[in-house]
Amino acid sequence: MTGGLQRAASTVLLVVVSFLLTALILWVSGYRVGTVLSGIIQGSITATGAATSTIRWTIPLLLIGLGVVIGFRAGFFNIGGQGQFYVGACSALVVSLGWREGPVPLVIMCGMIAAILAGMAWSLLPGYLRVQFGTDEVLTTLMMSFIGALVLQYLTAGPLRNPSGTGQTAASERIPEAFRITDSSGVSVTALLLVGGVAVLVWLLLERTRFGLTMTLVGRNPTMARWQGIDVRRVGLGTFALSGALSGLAGAVELYGPGARLVTGFSPEVGFTAVVVALVGMLSVWGTVVAAVFFGGLQSAILFLPIVTDLPPPALVLLHGMVAFLVTIKFRAVRRRRGGLAAKPVAG
Amino acid sequence: MEQVLATTLRSAAPLVLVATAGVFAFRAGIFHLGLEGLMISGAFTTVAIGDATGSVELGILAAIGVCMALSAVYWWVIGPLGANVIIAGLGLTSIGLGGTAFALGAIFDLRGSMFTDVVLPRPVRGATSGPGVIISEHSILVWITPLIVLVAWIVLRRSRFGLRLAAVGEYPFAARSAGVNPSIVRLQALLISGALCALGGAELSVGTLRNFTENMTNGRGFIAFVAVIFGAWHPIGAALAGLFFGFADAIGIQSQINITERVPREFVLMIPFVLTIFAVWLGGLWRRRTLEAEAGYAELREPDY
Repeated sequence: MTGGLQRAASTVLLVVVSFLLTALILWVSGYRVGTVLSGIIQGSITATGAATSTIRWTIPLLLIGLGVVIGFRAGFFNIGGQGQFYVGACSALVVSLGWREGPVPLVIMCGMIAAILAGMAWSLLPGYLRVQFGTDEVLTTLMMSFIGALVLQYLTAGPLRNPSGTGQTAASERIPEAFRITDSSGVSVTALLLVGGVAVLVWLLLERTRFGLTMTLVGRNPTMARWQGIDVRRVGLGTFALSGALSGLAGAVELYGPGARLVTGFSPEVGFTAVVVALVGMLSVWGTVVAAVFFGGLQSAILFLPIVTDLPPPALVLLHGMVAFLVTIKFRAVRRRRGGLAAKPVAG
Repeated sequence: MEQVLATTLRSAAPLVLVATAGVFAFRAGIFHLGLEGLMISGAFTTVAIGDATGSVELGILAAIGVCMALSAVYWWVIGPLGANVIIAGLGLTSIGLGGTAFALGAIFDLRGSMFTDVVLPRPVRGATSGPGVIISEHSILVWITPLIVLVAWIVLRRSRFGLRLAAVGEYPFAARSAGVNPSIVRLQALLISGALCALGGAELSVGTLRNFTENMTNGRGFIAFVAVIFGAWHPIGAALAGLFFGFADAIGIQSQINITERVPREFVLMIPFVLTIFAVWLGGLWRRRTLEAEAGYAELREPDY
């Protein structure tokens, strides 16, 4: 396991470097890094409601991040989590607003299933094109993501718009209070059990089932997997479906939890941050849980920071970008050591 | 109708410039998802430096410098340091979007947007009706964009550099055998790409408007990337695709005005994305038959880290 340990060490190192670089930028811009740091600790852990807020932001990051883990493990760059998240939330909203009088548990259940199916559909279209025709999934998932954002914009500004809303951005009508699984803090026993259960299921699937193993094999070397008699297409479709399902579910949890209504372009960074979370979590389930809590804490802190310092919130986007920019540096170094040089020309 | 065509040209110019940038990167075998970040950095630097010095030329020069420097860092990270091209590219985009919005608050103490007095010169002005509207009020960058596309085409098609670029992108192993260092060629391509992104960003911020707004690129960098794919990574093809997406954008702006009877604006805005999925799908079908392209393409994508 020294390889795993080395990977962990290099990931931690790269994340630390990203943080130091961002801190340097803050320092040059005239912010006191110490104040910002203490603000982050207060805003993510110690201040009133901060820990709750951290968990609230951990939930979507973890669900979408696990979807990314599943995709990346099998070698598919499903980077369309944002759009799958949005269409999931939209479907749950349509179900909940269309069936206001229905029995509460049934409506929530249907809403979540609708969200999962919508997320799946959003991910399966690129997935089908990928396994059937070899169409590049980076582009198609990205495109589907933009389309999903426009679907949300259309619904919240059009058919489902709250006519009495006065805010600058369009928002939908609220779902009935009875349907919500948390209060506005976004944390409740139900939500935690749901997300924890999903994490355990994903772990079981990836580490303890045949499907998980074949997925990883396909990711490592699709050609070899095919020669071993693995149906790569089936595995690919299953991977895309699961990955999209988790993002869609995250959308439903967001709606039934802290949201209660949808706003045009809500949580715009969550899809990309989830990719960062999965990579920092080294594509392992528990690593992703830790990374999700960490980035959830940062998200929570950035909302708190205006109280202690005038740091503009986009600093967080900058930090996420910095981590993403650097965190994959290790990956090819690993491949090089494995002797890929002889087989394949490498850049650089 | 004249108004739609004029808006098309204005919307298309930044897209075409950034798409040309994308063509250079793509030809070198780099799946450049950082275009958006470079574009917004260019837009911001032009406004910030242009406003500080009072000279739009200095602003643009600074923007080109910043974008080329960022591109060089991107090259260093994905080349010698071996980071994943796609993830690092998305990271670069976030650095650009987050960094400019942060700088707006941190340096200028502004939230949202920053207005400026500097603006690009407009060679033809004054027409208010008739066909003259189509060519009136465009910034100088709109006028020289076709020229840039033409030069890009000649460079890619007729120069030694263009040939090397194609070799590096399509089959780096062969390029290396022929004594070409793919890494250096990639750096050159990325530097050109960065400079063009800076121009695209400048046109966006001081071409038609006179301000920088947080997230003002609003996905245009990605649409430009899409234009590269849609135009089969040919400079003329990418430019035409950019023009078409500019047209879709102009129609979108128009349909927003009389929204009740027309198609909702969101559906019009979806057009480039839906078309791209088709284009990538069909393009992939065609490309699978050319085995040579596979090697370069695999290196470009590198899903198996």
